[in-house]
Amino acid sequence: MTGLLIISLFVWWIIKDPTRQFAESIPGADNRGSDSASIGPPVVIGENFQQFGTSTSSLKGTWTRFRGADYDNIAKNSQPLKNSWTGNQPEILWSVDLGEGHAGPAIYEGKVYVMDYDEVKRQDALRCFSLENGKELWRRSYKVSLKRNHGMSRTVPAVSSDYILTIGPRCHVMCVKRESGDLLWGLDMVQKYKTEVPLWFTGQCPMIDGTKAILAPGGSAIMIAVDCATGKVLWETPNPGGFKMSHSSIMPWTLNGKKMYVYSAVGGVLGVSAEGADEGKILWKSTAWNHAVVAPAPVCFPDGKVFLTAGYGAGSMMIKVTPSGGEYKVDVLKEYSPKDGMACEQQTPIVWDGVMFAIEPKDAGPLRNQLICVSPNDVNKVIWTSGKDGRFGLGPYLIADQKMFLLSDDGTLTMIKPDSKRYIQMAQKKLFDGQDAWAPMAIADGRLLLRDSKKMYCVIVSQ
Amino acid sequence: MSDRKEPKSMERRRFIRSGMQMALAVSLGGVASVSFIKSTSKDLVWQIDPFKCVQCGRCATECIMTPSAVKCVHSFNLCGYCDLCGGYLKPDPNARSTAAENQLCPTAAINRRYIEEPYFEYVIDEKLCIGCAKCVAGCTSFGNGSLHLQIRHDRCKNCNECAIARVCPADAFQRVPRNTPYLIKGGFTKGGTSKDQLKKG
Repeated sequence: MTGLLIISLFVWWIIKDPTRQFAESIPGADNRGSDSASIGPPVVIGENFQQFGTSTSSLKGTWTRFRGADYDNIAKNSQPLKNSWTGNQPEILWSVDLGEGHAGPAIYEGKVYVMDYDEVKRQDALRCFSLENGKELWRRSYKVSLKRNHGMSRTVPAVSSDYILTIGPRCHVMCVKRESGDLLWGLDMVQKYKTEVPLWFTGQCPMIDGTKAILAPGGSAIMIAVDCATGKVLWETPNPGGFKMSHSSIMPWTLNGKKMYVYSAVGGVLGVSAEGADEGKILWKSTAWNHAVVAPAPVCFPDGKVFLTAGYGAGSMMIKVTPSGGEYKVDVLKEYSPKDGMACEQQTPIVWDGVMFAIEPKDAGPLRNQLICVSPNDVNKVIWTSGKDGRFGLGPYLIADQKMFLLSDDGTLTMIKPDSKRYIQMAQKKLFDGQDAWAPMAIADGRLLLRDSKKMYCVIVSQ
Repeated sequence: MSDRKEPKSMERRRFIRSGMQMALAVSLGGVASVSFIKSTSKDLVWQIDPFKCVQCGRCATECIMTPSAVKCVHSFNLCGYCDLCGGYLKPDPNARSTAAENQLCPTAAINRRYIEEPYFEYVIDEKLCIGCAKCVAGCTSFGNGSLHLQIRHDRCKNCNECAIARVCPADAFQRVPRNTPYLIKGGFTKGGTSKDQLKKG
């Protein structure tokens, strides 16, 4: 009897499957649908124009693109700015409502250009405002359907004396005459290059190099050059690695006298020749840097080092590009998590006086959202931080007149003295009850332009 | 003229009906009284201030209940419904899919459901949730912070000396009135601990 019981128990033990209640976690359980990016009426880029007024201005300052004229977020030849703020200072000169988004402005001689999205009319809209009073002067727009996805617009136009170049949330490129807003040409990168619209829409800010528009579609061409005047495609860089468009922007770089464009894509980083017989050809690339979401631009140093960083847990990487007999070698010098050194989620570090400044992401442990300073030679060693009381969210920053301005998510503006040895706060003021004030700022003629998700402000910071 | 009495069965039926009505009235009155007493009670229960929580993971291991009485809750009116959800997916995932290797939750307690391009909905399966706060940390770091921890009072024993409160490094555990036992993000804002700001459970 006992033997029978033991045998029965043994059989039961053998037969019983203790994991039969378990459910497998396999792809597809969310019933993900197909991408509806191509659904909707055809987009006629630049189809509408409205003139609201004209403006003549004596202002001559410029902030011509993402990170300013020299791509370093530092305003050169700035007029003297206030060293401290008292009372109502810094004063908000004007403000305008914008569609929900994070698109920063560009400035050219008294005019402000913003790539906006009109949620009521469902239009991408390049809007031109007077820098002096915020009055809208004209608007060039086109209908395109978007759904809210943490804001819609998030790119800064590129402006030259003749042209304005924009990229809309769904990768529609538009080039217009700067003064009049007359349409020159449009390009749908999704249609032409099979660009995959990035998560939360396009974040890449376009580049104008001379008279060429430089863009990174991903898809069938990782980089292209287009003649600003005619819209003619001058060259296309094949994309055999299948790199995708990221939220990062193309940065110019000169290494050993060779001019190139550097792009931190989804899938890898690469350098494309910007001149000579091999213009448009890939000089070097690396897939060691490969993350799903990349927003900061690469920071390139004269010695061949390139600092790459991204959010959502990616951390950072320092690579070294070495020219060698007409070829280029790429070595990974460092790779680390956000807690172990300088990292950024949205903004790009500023290089100043031999050191780098950046705001740490939320997953950087005790340093989360603090401004930190490191040497490019040792990005893991923090020289100083803004401290636990100096957290700035994901906000933007720039330098002008030996002063660094930082905007917190909630609309608090902080002015510090950029210094390679310690954190020196000069002034701080909560300007408005902001939400998600992440857009890159712009400054010209002593006027600082900043915005939160729904409103743009012009703040007087000059003496 | 006859002086006939009603049949006994009729009296019995009336008696039973009256009795039932009385019992019902007493029950309703009792429930109403208890509800009133509870709603005006000064009794306190434990709850987590989601704005103080630092997602240390102790809620999963220190509670006397197994699994913990602390669960993740989702404030849908705050959620961004992202495809790349920092609360659902591991940092830098291989793919934005429901595959186990991409999920952050160690017990697969978050159900991800496609709504329409580009939106996804995330629902907590409380039976599986152990209160480890991994998803809360991800959502707080990369999203709107709509995922957050709360003590579920259908499970909590309300120990006078809460085992988690003793070790909480952020002092996020606090006693709140029993009639407003939850501090749900959205209805409850940072620093808002006054009674009128507490969301009723």
